[in-house]
Amino acid sequence: MKTRRFITVLLAALLLLAFVPAFRAQAQTTTITYFTFSAAPDHLKDLDLMIADFKKANAGIDVKVQTAPFADYFTLLQTDLNGGAGPDVFELNYENFVTYAAKNVLLDLSSQTAQDKTWDAKAYYGRALEIFQQKGKQYGLPESFSTVVLLYNKALFDAAKIDYPKADWTWQDAIAAAKKLTDKSKGVWGLYSPVQFYEFFKKAAQGDCKFFNDAQTESLLNSPECVTVLNTMLSFTKEGVMPTPADLGGVKDDELFKSGKLAMWVNGIWQFSAMKDAPFAWDIQLEPGITRKAHHFFANAVAVNANSKNAQAAYTWARFFTSSPAAAKTRVAASWELPALTDKTLVADYLKVTPPANRQAVFDALNSVIPIPVIERQSEMQDKVTAALDKAVSGEFTPQQALEQAKKDVDALLKK
Amino acid sequence: MTSHAQTLSTAQDIHAPRVRLWRAALYLTLTALAGVMLVPFIWMVSTSLTQDQYVLSATPSLIPNPATLGSYQKLLDLLNIGGMFVNSLFVAVLTTAGQVLTSSMAAYAFARMRWRGRDVVFALYLITLMVPAQVTIVPLFILMRLFGWVNTYQALILPGLFSAFGTFLLRQAFLTIPREIEEAAFIDGASHWTIFRRVVLPLVKPGLATLTVFSFMGSWNAYLWPLFVARQDSMLTLPVGLARLHGQYLTQWNLVMAGAVISIIPILIVYLFAQRAFVRGIALSGLKG
Amino acid sequence: MYLAGERRWRKTGWVLLFLAPSLAGLILFTLGPILASLGLTLFQWDLIRPLEFVGLDNFREIFASGEFWSALSHTLYFVIGYIPLVMLLALGVALLLNQRVRGLALYRTAFFIPVVSSWVVISLLGKWAFNPRYGLVNYALGLVGVQGPNWLFSSRWAMPAIILTSVWKDIGFVMVMFLAGLQSIPHEYREASALDGAQAWNHFRWITLPLLSPTTFFALIISLIASFQVFDQVWIMSETGTKSATTVLVQQIVQNAFSYGRMGTAAALSWVLFAFIFAITLVQLRLQRRWVAYD
Repeated sequence: MKTRRFITVLLAALLLLAFVPAFRAQAQTTTITYFTFSAAPDHLKDLDLMIADFKKANAGIDVKVQTAPFADYFTLLQTDLNGGAGPDVFELNYENFVTYAAKNVLLDLSSQTAQDKTWDAKAYYGRALEIFQQKGKQYGLPESFSTVVLLYNKALFDAAKIDYPKADWTWQDAIAAAKKLTDKSKGVWGLYSPVQFYEFFKKAAQGDCKFFNDAQTESLLNSPECVTVLNTMLSFTKEGVMPTPADLGGVKDDELFKSGKLAMWVNGIWQFSAMKDAPFAWDIQLEPGITRKAHHFFANAVAVNANSKNAQAAYTWARFFTSSPAAAKTRVAASWELPALTDKTLVADYLKVTPPANRQAVFDALNSVIPIPVIERQSEMQDKVTAALDKAVSGEFTPQQALEQAKKDVDALLKK
Repeated sequence: MTSHAQTLSTAQDIHAPRVRLWRAALYLTLTALAGVMLVPFIWMVSTSLTQDQYVLSATPSLIPNPATLGSYQKLLDLLNIGGMFVNSLFVAVLTTAGQVLTSSMAAYAFARMRWRGRDVVFALYLITLMVPAQVTIVPLFILMRLFGWVNTYQALILPGLFSAFGTFLLRQAFLTIPREIEEAAFIDGASHWTIFRRVVLPLVKPGLATLTVFSFMGSWNAYLWPLFVARQDSMLTLPVGLARLHGQYLTQWNLVMAGAVISIIPILIVYLFAQRAFVRGIALSGLKG
Repeated sequence: MYLAGERRWRKTGWVLLFLAPSLAGLILFTLGPILASLGLTLFQWDLIRPLEFVGLDNFREIFASGEFWSALSHTLYFVIGYIPLVMLLALGVALLLNQRVRGLALYRTAFFIPVVSSWVVISLLGKWAFNPRYGLVNYALGLVGVQGPNWLFSSRWAMPAIILTSVWKDIGFVMVMFLAGLQSIPHEYREASALDGAQAWNHFRWITLPLLSPTTFFALIISLIASFQVFDQVWIMSETGTKSATTVLVQQIVQNAFSYGRMGTAAALSWVLFAFIFAITLVQLRLQRRWVAYD
């Protein structure tokens, strides 16, 4: 009897011992979740590479990735964050940053950066770091930025024997060239820059049309300058150089460009990898302006959940992902937008890849960037402005009427 | 009855040529209509087999030339189709079985039993059909969070195990059965359960087959709920996985159509199988009548 | 002997046994969330910050907004266009298929393939088929010399395109119900289908239709309820320029709940929609006594 009891105890002890290393290992690994929209489906492998590099440098932290398509991302994020739960680190674009900062779910990173001996604010592109601050506190770390430029089909320009677009072009110059390039019998169009929210506020900046007054209590969309801007945008289809949606017949603008049927295309630098194999020579230029130049500044950031139980590990990942040389190199090599860093060697790498040859234009564009006009009720504002613009496009409203409507709607949203 | 039948058959003989003309017109119409139903699908399959550069053409063609499996290959590369397929199948089978079982039982209670508050409770069922599903998703999700079921199969399956629609459908089916049949069984001393299983249920085979197909279909094609509740890559179902292609690859029609073809095949199979029970049930009921 | 049967009918234990699984699920997973959303109509909530009590403001806001009324009119347009088309066509096809047709299974499958496909698939297919330049529909119209309109790109023809796509998808669904109903009609009634013209119509009108009425009632109610809640196909098929001609009520609900983070408004909108559907269903149920023949 005694021996049996002894053996049982011994066995139990041995079993426990077998588990102890497992317990210890478990206690050592912190797992954080990272929710992203930009990684899937094209860059999951790149993200995995970055995570592998991260784990090498930070033993004991594991990163679990959750992805969602952009269209669903913010809905899912909202439900995730309900009740103080949600991913430890998540991606935000600038438009939504303001909304989420207002919800008090973003961790103030100032205390983390203060403790971080490797923290160097200058490693980040100043503008990018700034826009993810509120009241002097850092709520997000800029992950990447991108901008919108003018892509043009060199072959079409050569065939029409006109000069390539220049950096100082205005829209009148562009329309003139587009007229010579449009050949409806061949289904070739000169220009594509649609009337929609993002294009509108950028052209507004080009034409001195202000979205809000300085205090952001009132919208100034019905000013004469804004009407001029809208008229300029509408003139593209009126002059017959830009296809209407009906003309396109369901074909998307990127397909139109790739099939060689579009001479000038206003779109983002993220198209570079998609257009890599286009069967014709193409290049980029600064976007034409009205009274001045203005370019988009789209930036994504990663933020740490204010309710995260692993704030330290989460911050470490966020820091690595946004500013480590390893991650940045992977990003540039994969054409996964541009890291928001000031490291000149990265820029050099980026400039080397072609097409397009004139990648310098991307950085030149940064001299004339305007951020997105953002308010707390952002989605509603974008939808309302778009609806008003649609009415101008369809002819249901005159540009003046459409902008009056837009102003009224936006003013209503500004009241809280 | 017999003399009536005799009159009918002689009536048929007299009008033989007219009957043939009528039958010909019938088949022609049906074939034309079936064509309208099928041609878009043939086109869908054909698009899925078309090479990238030939997808957009002014003359839609039903036979791709040259044909290629490239889109399917690309789909397999981009997404874990096999895993998603299995997930969808697992969830759909369990959901369907549950729905058919719970709905038929509840329908029996509504159609074949008299009890206080029966009509009120049935009205309750109807009412839930009238509230847009989208609005229950968020409260339901929070409930799942409370139970700790987010990202588990429980969340995908359990809320779907019953169906107000199915109950309604089967209740109507049960109501068409003459009471005499059951009353006879009652008199013989059978219990409700025996009558349910042996007498009433076999008589509504068409209804059951219909519900099986609809339940499977509903579960297989569900998008919004699995989107919220099955986030891990290993738990993705087919519609959610395919929708990930949506934004970027939306107008790569051959790719989109390939995904569509993959989604349709299993339900078609289910339908084809259920159809047999359908037909058997109809033949049997014909004999009984 | 009859008395023994009567007692059986009333045994509550049996009722619970049969009803419980379904009812339990209904209460927990449907009624509960529905009641939660009813409460939500008096608040504004973005899921993250605390609930904010706003009383009846959500309702006031809705009825004062132009969007609600246009969404309502678009929804009604869809319902009125869709229901008669789908019911009549489905009944017609079911009657045809009920004629002891050879290859019935094949025909039925042909009609059913659109039904089993998801709305996403059908909407994408519809979007492509109604493409004014490269789509099947205008191509077919061109073959008979008709110049097809711009469909989804035209404010006038966008909703009709959506309605037609929906009818195409659902015909098989309703037809199968009618067919099941027709085939449950006892054999001796069906013999008479071989009669000629005038008698066939009378037979249809006075025998078949009434016997079919429980099925018709069911199909009508289900289709009405579903069509008021139309969403997927409108959302996918609508083009940017013509959105203002096609936005429907459930779209507004989804936008408010999932894009704007205004759950209170979304809840209020869904209860307004529910009120409509409820009223119409009530009318149907009342009328049921007049035209539906149960055993």
